[in-house]
Amino acid sequence: MTLASSPRVREYSPHDLSTRRFWSQPFEARDETFAALRAADGLSWHHPMPTMFPMEEPGFWALTRRADIAYVSQHPELFTSARGIALDPMPFEVQQIATFFLAMDPPQHTTYRRLISSAFTPRNVHRIGEQIQKNAVAVVDDLVGAGDVDFVAACSSRLPMLTITEMLGVAPSQREAVAKAAEKLFSMSDDEYSSLEERAHNTINEMMLLSNTGIELAKYRRSHPGDDLMTSIVNAEVDGHRLTDEEIGAFLILLSSAGNDTTKQTTSHAMLALANNPAQRDWLAQDFESRIGPAIEEFVRWSSPVLQFARFVTEDSEIAGQQIKAGDKLGLFYCSANRDETVFDEPHAFNLQRSPNPHLGFGGGGPHFCLGNQLAKAELRTLFRELLTRLQPIEFGEPDLLLSNFVHGIKRLPAHIR
Amino acid sequence: MRVEVDLDKCTGHGICESIADDVFEVQDDGTVLIRENERPDADRERMQQAVTQCPAAALRLID
Repeated sequence: MTLASSPRVREYSPHDLSTRRFWSQPFEARDETFAALRAADGLSWHHPMPTMFPMEEPGFWALTRRADIAYVSQHPELFTSARGIALDPMPFEVQQIATFFLAMDPPQHTTYRRLISSAFTPRNVHRIGEQIQKNAVAVVDDLVGAGDVDFVAACSSRLPMLTITEMLGVAPSQREAVAKAAEKLFSMSDDEYSSLEERAHNTINEMMLLSNTGIELAKYRRSHPGDDLMTSIVNAEVDGHRLTDEEIGAFLILLSSAGNDTTKQTTSHAMLALANNPAQRDWLAQDFESRIGPAIEEFVRWSSPVLQFARFVTEDSEIAGQQIKAGDKLGLFYCSANRDETVFDEPHAFNLQRSPNPHLGFGGGGPHFCLGNQLAKAELRTLFRELLTRLQPIEFGEPDLLLSNFVHGIKRLPAHIR
Repeated sequence: MRVEVDLDKCTGHGICESIADDVFEVQDDGTVLIRENERPDADRERMQQAVTQCPAAALRLID
């Protein structure tokens, strides 16, 4: 009997995924470990991730191949989100506040998702195209001739922040604060954002700040309805009831974090990759309108802005020949799926002409596939059109990387813009 | 050839609409509406793409 098929043997893998040291390596170095796991039989069992909460878990199975992650994502009845989706051990009540309907299964998940999904349909994203265009132009106006800047602050972070906060109806004076709080919430693992002792406390604080912003905004929209997402949220009913303040606060946390950080990180990673691959940059710029569609898929595959989410097994089952038990935790490493050599030729090459490009940058399919994928693509398309047609090639310095096992982040990116 | 959607699976991601917006439209309730289920053979490649790329595996082609 092989190790992989034995239900009782559960030895920790010699490949370490669970320390700060592992995640402090760059993406490419980490993928050497993921490549070894992808090539091995079955699944590998790992020590629990570090946690800031007083919780003990035995560990998790690492899913590293694209096919396995897609299978789990598309079978929510076997692999639940309703016990939490954070790979770091985290109390479920905290996860409920921070991730809201991400930590639900159908049909409950479907009910909440539909409350906001209309804002993210292709037609409704198209409707706000002009607003995205106006904001993208303004962002790039400020970049022309800017000289030495931090590209993250000067560019990457701006369009997603303007877009999602305008959709929500957040007042212009509060937009920066909301985006900053959302960024901090998912960057706590980095010492720059929080010391070890303060991490749990600060996480709760940022969550409360965002939640209260949502509740205040809801109060205002109940008496002053507008044409925005918050107005639809306060008017929505679930099973004949209006949403509670807690639920509205949770919506704001989810939308402000999911709507900001992901597209921001993709913008930084993709600009850096284009600068490092000038032939690809030129190829894209030569026929932007017909080439940007597939190029964006490669931007997202390359960036893999969300590194992982977790699931729990609901009944004894099998993945890739590996016996798994009800109650086991699974880590879905999208970052690894997006470098799976059985799916992508030369997975470590940035190739805008890659076709097909079945990356898992928006998740592995199923009910939790990224709701904002159309919005993200519209933002990237509009912003990169401005960046590539109006600016001289930008010179970049070394990126300052975020230490995180969840967000593939660049904190700062020195740039010289002529 | 017919293209059909399983509304129990459809979560309205809109990938199909971005491939063929004359055929698929995600409604405000988050489910997809198919305008003409019967597709000419010339449309096979596009429909196949929509089926393959549906993240919820909610679409299928019937000959």
